[in-house]
Amino acid sequence: MQTDPAVPTPVAGEQVRVWDAPTRLFHWSIVALVFVSWLSADQGYMTVHLWSGLSLLALLLFRLGWGLMGSTTARFGDFLHPPRKVLAYLKTQARGASPLHAGHNPAGGLMVMALLAVLLAQVLTGLFANDGLKFSGPLALFVSDDASDQSTRIHGIIFNIILALVWLHVVAVGFHHFVKGDNLVGPMVSGKKHRSRVPESANIIFAHPALALGLLLASAAVAAWILF
Amino acid sequence: MSLEPRASGYLSAPLYLACVVLVTGAGLATAMALRPAFAHRVLELVGLEAMPQATPNSFYATRVGPLFAQHCTSCHGETRQKAELRLDSYAFALRGGRHGAVIVPGKPAASELMTRITLPAGDDRAMPPEGKTPLSPDDVTVIRLWIAAGASPTTPPSAIKGAPRLVAEVKFPELDPAATRRLRAPLAGDVERLSARYPGLVVYEARNSADLELDAASRGAAFTDADLKAFLPLRSHILRIDLSGTAITDASAETLAQMTALKTLRLANTKTGDETIAALARLKSLRSLTVTGTRATKPALAPLSKAGVAIHGDDNAD
Repeated sequence: MQTDPAVPTPVAGEQVRVWDAPTRLFHWSIVALVFVSWLSADQGYMTVHLWSGLSLLALLLFRLGWGLMGSTTARFGDFLHPPRKVLAYLKTQARGASPLHAGHNPAGGLMVMALLAVLLAQVLTGLFANDGLKFSGPLALFVSDDASDQSTRIHGIIFNIILALVWLHVVAVGFHHFVKGDNLVGPMVSGKKHRSRVPESANIIFAHPALALGLLLASAAVAAWILF
Repeated sequence: MSLEPRASGYLSAPLYLACVVLVTGAGLATAMALRPAFAHRVLELVGLEAMPQATPNSFYATRVGPLFAQHCTSCHGETRQKAELRLDSYAFALRGGRHGAVIVPGKPAASELMTRITLPAGDDRAMPPEGKTPLSPDDVTVIRLWIAAGASPTTPPSAIKGAPRLVAEVKFPELDPAATRRLRAPLAGDVERLSARYPGLVVYEARNSADLELDAASRGAAFTDADLKAFLPLRSHILRIDLSGTAITDASAETLAQMTALKTLRLANTKTGDETIAALARLKSLRSLTVTGTRATKPALAPLSKAGVAIHGDDNAD
């Protein structure tokens, strides 16, 4: 175990709010729904799979909107960085230094975007897929059987990519926790980070929860429209 | 952005990476133990498992594989692998799916595949599922016998007794009326004209063909050399002619010699002879000739016979 005298010991009360509730709820809902989607497809509960997939679609649409109009740390502009900046961040990691970020670090931001992209692709291909038996995605009727089969094949491939990204995500979070002593899971639950882990210059503006609710309802309406 | 001076976690980076490798390896091992199909894929990928191949003339290749291809591989094949099961090769079939082997060599009753294909049609677990072409009782018997005999990739068909006879499947090409009309267009006028003059004598060989058959036998003695000559416009399309019992004579020799597509000719009980036979030697496509009751002689028929034409009814020829 390594200790670092330069990092102050956390003291109760020295917490800074960095994640808003909608972002945290989104994160853990995605975790749960991806697991439910996996399990339901694996066990042949395709109705459950349909609903979990549509719920994922609603959440992903919500997150795209929230990334544009949500709180500071939820916005794409806050964590989307050019590749050279991501590389520079990874190099500082390799040297053992730890740049502080209130929200996602540049590598984490890239991971968020990659996960959002593959999850969206997964949900979209699922809409046109079929299980070869009695179940078809809600939009499968609008394409040819060949296109639906192709969509099914891609759906299976993307699932493996999701597994790989989730593995990488967990390994990176574990790296921060066990090697750098930076607990990323706790703040994603409580919304708060220790002040020592947040840059002094951080100026986080939190969006109103009503906006999140409105956005979520609109996203759910789009998903429901696809189903009905 | 500000910087922390250095890392302050519980583990060093190399130790953490070692833990990741260990945990990932354990996870993969667990997945391989729980998912035999996944295990086979991994072992095959690293070259630790060979893919057994069925021999071309084995019972599997000739009887079982075609049944899987016809009834199963649309869902359990290269494109789709429901339940991670593939039945598009011997190796895949024996490997099994998500829940393990579906074929237990020597034990049909213990084979999940047999269970599934013998469930009643209304059962959700029955295979092939509702809407797909079901296996016939003979098909089921073939698969059962193969599994009972050890589900081998090499056992020849003769080694498995009691298998229902193989029924050949014949597929007819789909008709394309427009294409047939185009094909017949050059001769349609002549066919129509001659059909009106000689009802029922000339017919198309097939529904999608422009080749013709001329059957004048029903006209008997009313059908003469002049009548046969009337069919000359169709000479390159007539494959078969039956002139049995008609009034045809050697005067039709030249007319028949111009029927360049002719394959089968029946001259039985006509007044034709060696002159006609000699003229037929010019027909390169002729394959069968009936000369019963004609004046054709064996010496005259010899060249045709030598050219591969099957001669019928020349027993009494001189």
